[in-house]
Amino acid sequence: MDTKNKIFNSLTMVMSFVPLFILVSIFVFVLYYSFPAIQYMGIRFFTTYLWYPGIESRPPVHVNGVTAPYASSYGLILFLTGTLVSSALAIIIALPLSFFSSIAVELYLPSRMKKVLISIIELFAGIPSVVYGLWGIIVLEPVLFYYIEPWMKDNLSSVPGFAGEIYSGAGILASAIILAIMITPIIVSVMVNSFDTVPVEIKQGIISLGATKWELGKYLITGYSRMSTYGGTLLGLGRALGETMAVLMVSGAVVNVLPSSFYSAINTMAAAVASLLDSAFFDSTGMSIAALSELSLVLMIISLTVNVLGRRIAGRGALRGVELD
Amino acid sequence: MINLRDHHEKEIKWKNSTLRNVKNQGAKIAGFFALLFMLAVLVSIFGYILHGGASHITLRMFTTYGNTTTGGLLNAIIGTWLLVGMGLLFSVPSGVLGALYNVQSTSSTRIRSVTRLFTDILTSVPSIVIGLFGYLVLVIRFDMGFSLLAGGIALGIMMLPYVMRISEISMKNVPQEQVNNAYALGADRIQVASRIYLPQARAGIISGILLAIGIAAGETAQLLYTAGWNNALPSGFMKSQVAYLTYVVWYGINQPSSYAHELAFASALILIIMVTVLISISKFVGRKRV
Repeated sequence: MDTKNKIFNSLTMVMSFVPLFILVSIFVFVLYYSFPAIQYMGIRFFTTYLWYPGIESRPPVHVNGVTAPYASSYGLILFLTGTLVSSALAIIIALPLSFFSSIAVELYLPSRMKKVLISIIELFAGIPSVVYGLWGIIVLEPVLFYYIEPWMKDNLSSVPGFAGEIYSGAGILASAIILAIMITPIIVSVMVNSFDTVPVEIKQGIISLGATKWELGKYLITGYSRMSTYGGTLLGLGRALGETMAVLMVSGAVVNVLPSSFYSAINTMAAAVASLLDSAFFDSTGMSIAALSELSLVLMIISLTVNVLGRRIAGRGALRGVELD
Repeated sequence: MINLRDHHEKEIKWKNSTLRNVKNQGAKIAGFFALLFMLAVLVSIFGYILHGGASHITLRMFTTYGNTTTGGLLNAIIGTWLLVGMGLLFSVPSGVLGALYNVQSTSSTRIRSVTRLFTDILTSVPSIVIGLFGYLVLVIRFDMGFSLLAGGIALGIMMLPYVMRISEISMKNVPQEQVNNAYALGADRIQVASRIYLPQARAGIISGILLAIGIAAGETAQLLYTAGWNNALPSGFMKSQVAYLTYVVWYGINQPSSYAHELAFASALILIIMVTVLISISKFVGRKRV
């Protein structure tokens, strides 16, 4: 190769490493900026749910070689609970929806409707998170507050979590429903795509042996395409764990109050970083920003683990709105 | 001894068992309801935004600057495009050249599968973590301030994997014989890249870029602490804040003034049309790729 081609080759090689470089630097910098919080809070970061910026008018305290505002406390329990509960509920709502819609698209509806329905479902991927949030505020919250939550309270109060005060539509249920709506299209698209890879002989064979379509569908979901079922679910979960704006708008964004029922307001790790960072600018010791970095670090580790597992299991990646090989 | 006739009758009974048919019908109905529910939600989202936006949007919003509670949206519309443009400047060269390396390189596939894996993983970094990274590193450490540059790079980080992976997929679809023939005729890497890969994969690359633009235009969390807000247009690349549409939606709907709500709806309308159109064009262009 002549010099020109060598330069071209090295240039393209460097460019192909840019995503890796960015990912590593995000991790390293977020870890680096969270050191003061790791030193100040230690293990208490993972055991307390209290998040106080401290008292600015009192002199700051010195702990383990770092400076923090007087009486400040940073703990992730509340935010971790919010993230896990809302994502888990979202999966519980999204799974039956996805299973039944993908079976309907694949087996019960005429095949010419399949393409149309898939492209309609793909429209969900183009809705920005803030628009989901806006819809959550103007439609979902009032519906929950005036109709669904009072009904649940009256009829399901013997079930743990369904008794309690209803203060507003914002909270765990609203977040979970918004997340479920956001991730159902992801799971459906992974599943329908995996149904396409099932050899037609298998489908015909099962039907010709006398199985009903439902039995075939059950076999596809739990048998032949089960890896895609798990993978699609994990990819959806990964999206739910990291979702910021929509949840920030409908969760109630509370701090220091643990949820007592499914109607309670919550906060998630992603939403907490978004909503607490602007007040953290005023912390002269910088400890609030360090604590938010540690929160982001934990969120990133959880969310990347789930996504990598999902990709591994589903056997391929699914970016928003596109399928990869 | 097995009574064959009994056995046979049992089998027929099993085949025609009403329970199995009831289950099948139940699944069918559940499937239609699930689809119907999702469609109803989609219609509700589009309906409320289109109706709410269309009934409040005015021509003045497109011609005047605003501050999310009064005035118009012109600064936010231009700011969104400036930020997306900045993101493109950052992500397209790296994405397309990186994809070229991934299809052209003859070195070990192991390294390429690692970089490819990390490119995929980059799409699943929560957007607010990219936002925090942008704030800590670009805004503070590199002293860019809330600015076009910081916000654009934060968006570019999110756009890069889309551009790179979709370009790569469409370049992979270029017939290998054509590439081999070109090399056999004495073409070098630059010639193969510029005369074979880029023209042949053009539709796919454009489709990836359009998708990245569509998704980036609807992002908020990366920009909250990297772009800030500006009641006018930014005066430079650094240390001058930028307005963007998603901020108006998020901030406006939480304001007590009804005009702020109208601005939020109008912005949501512009966003949803812009993003849906971009993604649809991207799909349409991508369908024709080799």
